[in-house]
Amino acid sequence: MDALRTVTRDIDTNSTKISARGVQVHYGDTHAIKDVDVDIKERSVTAFIGPSGCGKSTFLRCINRMNDTIDICRVTGDIRIDGDDIYDRSIDPVQLRARVGMVFQKPNPFPKSIYDNVAYGPKIHGLARSRAEMDEIVERSLRRGAIWDEVKDRLHAPGTGLSGGQQQRLCIARAVATDPEVLLMDEPCSALDPIATAQIEELIDTLREKYTVVIVTHSMQQAARVSQKTAFFHLGNLVEYGDTDDIFTNPKDRRTESYISGRIG
Amino acid sequence: MTTLAFAILLVASLAAYALNRRAATTIRDGGARLHSVSNYHGLFALLLMLVPVLVVILIWLVLQGPVVNAMVMWALPAGTLDGLDTGQADLILAEIQSISGGRIFGDPEPWKLAAAAHLTELRELAALGLVLLTALLCLAIMYVARRKVAAGFRARQGVERIISGLMIFCSVAAIFTTVGIVASLAFETYKFLRLVPLTEFLFGLNWEPQIPIRADQIAAAGAFGWLPVIAGTIVITFVAIFIAVPIGLLSAIYLFEFAPKRIRSVAKPLLEILAGVPTVVYGFFAILVVAPAIRSLGASMGIPVAPNTALAAGGVMGIMLVPFISSFADDALSAVPRSMRDGALALGATRAETVLNVLFPAAIPGIVGGVLLAVSRAIGETMIVVMAAGLMANLTLNPLESVTTVTVQIVTLLIGDTSFDNPKTLAAFALGMMLFIVTLIINIFALRIVRKYREAYD
Ligand SMILES: Nc1ncnc2c1ncn2[C@@H]1O[C@H](COP(=O)(O)OP(=O)(O)OP(=O)(O)O)[C@@H](O)[C@H]1O
Ligand SMILES: [Mg+2]
Repeated sequence: MDALRTVTRDIDTNSTKISARGVQVHYGDTHAIKDVDVDIKERSVTAFIGPSGCGKSTFLRCINRMNDTIDICRVTGDIRIDGDDIYDRSIDPVQLRARVGMVFQKPNPFPKSIYDNVAYGPKIHGLARSRAEMDEIVERSLRRGAIWDEVKDRLHAPGTGLSGGQQQRLCIARAVATDPEVLLMDEPCSALDPIATAQIEELIDTLREKYTVVIVTHSMQQAARVSQKTAFFHLGNLVEYGDTDDIFTNPKDRRTESYISGRIG
Repeated sequence: MTTLAFAILLVASLAAYALNRRAATTIRDGGARLHSVSNYHGLFALLLMLVPVLVVILIWLVLQGPVVNAMVMWALPAGTLDGLDTGQADLILAEIQSISGGRIFGDPEPWKLAAAAHLTELRELAALGLVLLTALLCLAIMYVARRKVAAGFRARQGVERIISGLMIFCSVAAIFTTVGIVASLAFETYKFLRLVPLTEFLFGLNWEPQIPIRADQIAAAGAFGWLPVIAGTIVITFVAIFIAVPIGLLSAIYLFEFAPKRIRSVAKPLLEILAGVPTVVYGFFAILVVAPAIRSLGASMGIPVAPNTALAAGGVMGIMLVPFISSFADDALSAVPRSMRDGALALGATRAETVLNVLFPAAIPGIVGGVLLAVSRAIGETMIVVMAAGLMANLTLNPLESVTTVTVQIVTLLIGDTSFDNPKTLAAFALGMMLFIVTLIINIFALRIVRKYREAYD
């Protein structure tokens, strides 16, 4: 069964989950994203790379409309998830964010217990009908976040009392608890040591079975290790987008090549 | 003359600063590596002079008056003070002082004139002594400080030591002031409790303190049970907090999270103006507007309402406390890191859910701090209640009746005829002491609660 699904996935590479056309983002007078077109494949990991300030986070935040929370930010263009325009008036950003989870650069668990951190999303979206169901969701999410074994004995201890790597996995568990279809990760490992990073990378690889993952990273090795597709941004432009292997071994654009080989950054 | 002493000190310390700085710079220019930059050498000299000499001058000024007076009295012709009590001796001294100051009334005895001349002379001598002492000290310290300048001298640490000493002194002064206030309260309370038994004070149900001070006055027999008074304080505080906390918190949340920028920029300063309104203005607002409104409302519903009510005073006090609570809550909410907000929003929480479930719990310690301060202010507030609550002690928890509060009673006990060996006057101190204890207990409890339930976010 499992093998079958993998096969389906490999064949069905054309099922596009997120498609963006002509996306422009302005912060006041700053033009942060310039006319970006991109198609992100379902159940795959897509990496956004590029020098600091090139707009990776900005573009990522367009996908779950977190940019709406920034007063001066203006987004134009067309972004569709499963063919639905997410900037359409009929779309409730609050609902959208339940479908498109996000993990931030710095682990940001709520100052609540580990259990409540994970249960928070399901609670506000009414995903559990009973206490037992909620317990199940929490356990499943924590397992998916690869942290269950470490915290199962102290679910009611504060989430802020965990180590940095554990906190980040808790945040991933929290994000998957609402059962999203897309998971956005903005430099999820930048605050972590190599061991925690390896754990998270392994986790991302397993998340791919169920979710469409978009990850922003500053580490080429990480992008090469975890992603199938890579997008290179430079000064607000999407310079090059393609299979990760191609981008890293055979970049077509000069800017991509110099960034990958460490000449711009 | 005193001004001259201060001027000398100022000039000398600046000179010492310049001198040491120059000396240090010279050493550096000579090629040696200074432990501290030359500015610190200068500052060290400045502080070394300023702080101790200032202390000496202040001590001198405090002691000068009593010492000079004692010397004058001591030098009076033998036998003048025989048979006089301290009050009469003080009167003579005051007369001598006013003669010495040039204000002569009537025809003073010659020995008083002589004493006044003596006093003038002593004062001049003292002033001269102060100036000389200041100058000498300054010179000596300047010499000592200058001698210390050397490449290896740790002027930076020296400066830090002096400054931290200064800071310790200031905090100790603050603590001692508190201790002094409490001690004097406690002392007067003790005197009160010798006249009125503690059990009567704590458990008595009647408060009729207007007892005669002089034998010919007609007044109440006197009863000193504080319960009706504290009951009034409690009722009014409850009413005030009951109004201030919801309004303050909700307005803070609205302004923090939902208000458009334009409304926020108008509403916040307006709220702050509310905090600047003098309490006496709130007081007549309570009498002229709120109390009649409550009365007529009560009358229309057939409920008897007293002309002065706890509700009117407490309600107006609540309005006074709104900006207090809302500004504390606003600060506490703003202090919660943005990443918390983003985390909740990214999970698909609405803005209201984000504020209530995530930001608010994280901000609780700050908010409770604000509420506590508001409670303390409500308990201690005097002017509004003096004007709007009433003066008659009335053991009731009904906010529609007239009550009196601890602070109102303190005021009424201390105005008019007072005498400090009378239970009526001393009762004011006992009430003050109780007020202090009650506020302290509330604070301790609230701190406990906050520590237990806070959601620390870092
Ligand atoms: N909240 C904001 N207000 C104004 N300008 C912003 C804001 N956030 C980002 N920008 C601007 O938009 C541009 C893109 O920023 P963005 O954060 O997307 O870069 P990034 O690629 O994520 O960089 P990094 O790798 O350093 O995280 C930058 O020029 C930045 O100054
Ligand atoms: Mg970024």
